[in-house]
Amino acid sequence: MSGKPLPGKLFAALVVLLLSSISPSLSQLHAAESVALVKEVSAELDLAATKAIFDSHSACFVDARSEYVYYKSHIKGAISLSDSRFDEQFPDFKQKKAIETLIVVYCTESSCGKARRVARKLMKNGYRNVRVYTGGLIEWAHAGFPMEG
Amino acid sequence: MTRIGFQSALITTLRLLLGAFFIMSGFEKLLDLKFFGLIIAEYQIVPSFLIPAVALLFSLCELLCGTMLLINLFSRFSSSVMLCMMVIFIAAMINNVMRGLEHDCGCLKFLSQWYGLKEEIGIVPIVRDILFFILLLPIALLGSNRIPWKKDQK
Repeated sequence: MSGKPLPGKLFAALVVLLLSSISPSLSQLHAAESVALVKEVSAELDLAATKAIFDSHSACFVDARSEYVYYKSHIKGAISLSDSRFDEQFPDFKQKKAIETLIVVYCTESSCGKARRVARKLMKNGYRNVRVYTGGLIEWAHAGFPMEG
Repeated sequence: MTRIGFQSALITTLRLLLGAFFIMSGFEKLLDLKFFGLIIAEYQIVPSFLIPAVALLFSLCELLCGTMLLINLFSRFSSSVMLCMMVIFIAAMINNVMRGLEHDCGCLKFLSQWYGLKEEIGIVPIVRDILFFILLLPIALLGSNRIPWKKDQK
């Protein structure tokens, strides 16, 4: 046997037991929190829902792609707030758009992560009414919906 | 004699090819300076307030140096300016690739429009600019720096 006394072993066993009983509840808490965050961020819209919002003129459309791509073409009336230069563009955006504005963020296509990243950044900066249009500009253009640039 | 003839022919060929290339490249950038400026902004190196000036300077440099190379006016000087620009382009692209940024390189838009070549920053545009650097070297080292109309005065 090793030289560790019995009370010490008991104490160690108790600590292990205590930790193992706490950790599942902690991980459940973390899981619940992350699910809530994902739900909040991933308020995602399909083409029909996006078009309905576009027609109602109730939302601000945000283009999360780089500014030079936005400059060439974007959804009609959209504002550029690129993922790559968010910090430079955001102060101007904040001045123009109130915190409660409904914002629809999009990028190129569903596999492009820029829209979700910009949506997350906007929510971090206080904008709670943020949606992501997952189809992106490619789907929008294919549908023949209004573009400019 | 043959060696001098070959050297002269080589420099003339490089001068004409690179000159024409830089004229096209500078001209297309001047046609849409705002677009070129937005690409420079993506590099996240130049301060925002300097971007329009840098865009104009780079485009004008390419156009003027290209023209000077083509007509053999201050070829050594103009190729040296282009060498410096190549170093700046290469350094900027390497910097951005190392930072994991992904964007258009803003080098030769006409190539991507006409031949469908991808113009994103990466190894291809870096190698291409290194190649331009190598091709410019003979002109900078062995080309002439004369003024054509001064020769006529002799």
